[in-house]
Amino acid sequence: MSIADQLLAFVAAIGQLLSQPTLVAVLLGSSLLGIVFGALPGLTATLGVGLLTTLTYGFDLDLALVSLIALYVGAIYGGSYSAILLNIPGTAASAASAMDGYPMARAGEGGRALGLTTTASFIGTLLGMLALVLTAPLIVELALQFTSYEFFLLALFGIIISGSLTSPDLVVKGWIAGFLGLALACIGRDKLMYYPRYTFDLHALDSGIEVVPVLIGAFAIPQIIGTLRSKAPLAAVQAVGRIIPDFRTIARNLRHIVRSALIGVGIGAVPGVGEDIAGWVSYGAAKNGSPHPERFGQGEPAGLISSETANNACIGGALIPLVTLGIPGSPPAVMLLGALMLHGLTPGPMLSIQQPTFLVELAAIMVLASAAMWLNGIVLARQVVKLLRVPATLFLPIVALLAVLGSYALGLNITNLYLMVAVGIAAYVLTEMDYPIAPLVIGVILGPMADENLRRALMVSQGDPLDFFTRPVSLVLIAAILLTVLAQVPAWRRWRHGLLARFRRKS
Amino acid sequence: MRAKTTLALGIAAALTATGAIAQDYPSRDINAVVVWSAGGGTDTANRLILAEMQENLPVRINVTNRTGGVGGSVGMSYVFEQPADGYTLAGISESVVTAGVQGGWDQRMDVWYPFIIGGSPDLVSVSSDAPWQSLAELVEAAKATPGEIRAGASAAGSIHHLNLLALEKGTGATFNYIPYDGSAPAQNAAVAGEVQVIVTSLAEQQQLLQAGRLRPLAMLVPSGVELNGEAIPSAFDSFPELSEHLPIKQAIGFAVLDAAPDDVKATLVEAFDAAMASDKVQTWLGENYYEASGASGDAAKEEFARLESLFAWTLHDLGAASVDPATLDIPKPN
Repeated sequence: MSIADQLLAFVAAIGQLLSQPTLVAVLLGSSLLGIVFGALPGLTATLGVGLLTTLTYGFDLDLALVSLIALYVGAIYGGSYSAILLNIPGTAASAASAMDGYPMARAGEGGRALGLTTTASFIGTLLGMLALVLTAPLIVELALQFTSYEFFLLALFGIIISGSLTSPDLVVKGWIAGFLGLALACIGRDKLMYYPRYTFDLHALDSGIEVVPVLIGAFAIPQIIGTLRSKAPLAAVQAVGRIIPDFRTIARNLRHIVRSALIGVGIGAVPGVGEDIAGWVSYGAAKNGSPHPERFGQGEPAGLISSETANNACIGGALIPLVTLGIPGSPPAVMLLGALMLHGLTPGPMLSIQQPTFLVELAAIMVLASAAMWLNGIVLARQVVKLLRVPATLFLPIVALLAVLGSYALGLNITNLYLMVAVGIAAYVLTEMDYPIAPLVIGVILGPMADENLRRALMVSQGDPLDFFTRPVSLVLIAAILLTVLAQVPAWRRWRHGLLARFRRKS
Repeated sequence: MRAKTTLALGIAAALTATGAIAQDYPSRDINAVVVWSAGGGTDTANRLILAEMQENLPVRINVTNRTGGVGGSVGMSYVFEQPADGYTLAGISESVVTAGVQGGWDQRMDVWYPFIIGGSPDLVSVSSDAPWQSLAELVEAAKATPGEIRAGASAAGSIHHLNLLALEKGTGATFNYIPYDGSAPAQNAAVAGEVQVIVTSLAEQQQLLQAGRLRPLAMLVPSGVELNGEAIPSAFDSFPELSEHLPIKQAIGFAVLDAAPDDVKATLVEAFDAAMASDKVQTWLGENYYEASGASGDAAKEEFARLESLFAWTLHDLGAASVDPATLDIPKPN
């Protein structure tokens, strides 16, 4: 199909979808549901897509896809509400958004922050969609260069960078938290040879540590205990004010948006790495590239815009390997794959041959989903935020209830409930000692990836670690990890400073 | 007065309830508990077949997922603890047969009365830039350099690993087995060139085969298949000895407790047979490259017993079983 044909098909698809009143209602409803799911801590995009998959089983494929993608887009965006107003990321994808969103809200700019995330998420989703349609074949080739060596290094890099970026205290505390997460991830039967590790003969531990209960426990429990202890209603939602799209700030940060969207798409396209990493990496890139990095964490709009653009752009990225190879790029995309197969559609290279219009239809659905998200965000955000404004005395039991429900709902496994409470209490102790929690969760998420791929890489090379240094992508990742670590070593900083000073004198 | 009415109502209700059991099954909604997570192969196939069975039954069949443990032991233990009245089904696959030897529970597969929908047959393929054009060429190369050629499959003791092991036993070739957490990453690695040989099911591989990313060498079942007009021969053609070790096929389906009354089993078998024969299920099986089985009752019990013995002893030999299969009275495979 030529580009003109595709464009025509795209416009036709949008018109066809919008001509069905039921579909429009489902679109808006699912988008709003997604925002609520994202905003409420403990309910994740993955859980939302999973639950909706069962509900939409009886729908037509079009309707089901509209519903699922609208919810996905809405949930990734909705996580920013609680990140900004409560300093609790509603989903892991918005963890980086709390860094500058919450300080903005505390400074009375909550409405502006919400307006910015709404527009940034909208633009991010659209750019992700554009990338999906235009560069799908190209990015797939790139992602296929990733073998066990690169996956291990990528996981390690994700953990280290989140440790560097989230520490309120010493950076090394972030790394410690990250490696604690890695250690937690080792519990259970190993995924390659099936040997039990750290299970102490408890069968409940055989299946390992699941991410959702860890995520819920680590973020919700410290918040609940901390608020109960401090008497002052800490969970009080920051004032929102008028929600304004603030196009001027958006326009000023255009380069951040473009860079973040590229990062989001790229990370989304890598199988298994999702919105959470995209948010962090993009936030880190914005901070490192900024002339005044000290403003980050104090309420810098560029930081908020970067993480929110990237996590939504990641959706389009995550769909690239899903549509072209049948490999989901992110955890919610895993659920989406299940839903597609439930409807008798097997994503993969053949999809573009069997259903040439599928990609265009998907693009149309994503455009509608992001439009619905933007509309809901601007018009209804104040109403959704009211959910978060429930007084702390009422709000905390609700969070606790949702935490219990959320950790039990995915697999109906009671062990996950105990796990959630245990992780929550440990996380509370760690927060009291100024350890960041996000790297711990990232460690649990990326732990299996790091563990499996390191061991597999050594199996492939038959025990020779030198192979890590003979592969180009692998070398780039090693350099990135070394630089991230060295940046924290005082001697290195002095040396680099001296080098730069000498360089400046010469020129 | 009120107490008396309540009592009378209670007795009446109890009488009706006991009456209902003696009467026709099913008289209330049936719960199906899939032991694997939502969206996976077992979940998808079960939701489809149970939705079709619902059409022929006067009640609804609600599907939930109860995951965790080893070999789906958490979900199976839950269903095992429910009354054997046919109102709770377990959605299972061939992989649950390892739950016993891995210490997930202390029961054997004979507690179930299974219904097998089917499964997708395994095949061996190579990366598109690999030099081997046939299984014979690959085996020859593997024999020349034992343990050098990298072969990817899902984790040790999984069905695809068992197929790879059987392939090695039946042909005398030795590969460097590289395990992956599932078929999708293993196939991805074969496309990326991390492994040269790959064993997964036809359903999992067909997209990459049709796109020319992988080259099929042979089906690991007695008969070959045709994929988009191109024939994939059976490995049995060139290596007849394979028939001693293969086929090891997926058995996706569900089960009711074997202790359930006979009329309950009969009703389920009838509904299952009708659902299997429906156009919707047949079309879905075809589109998803599944081989239909439709086995229930003794045939299905036999198949699960065979798989249990095969998987249990293989895991034991690999050192990955925490319980000796002999203590569970699992016979050695012949």
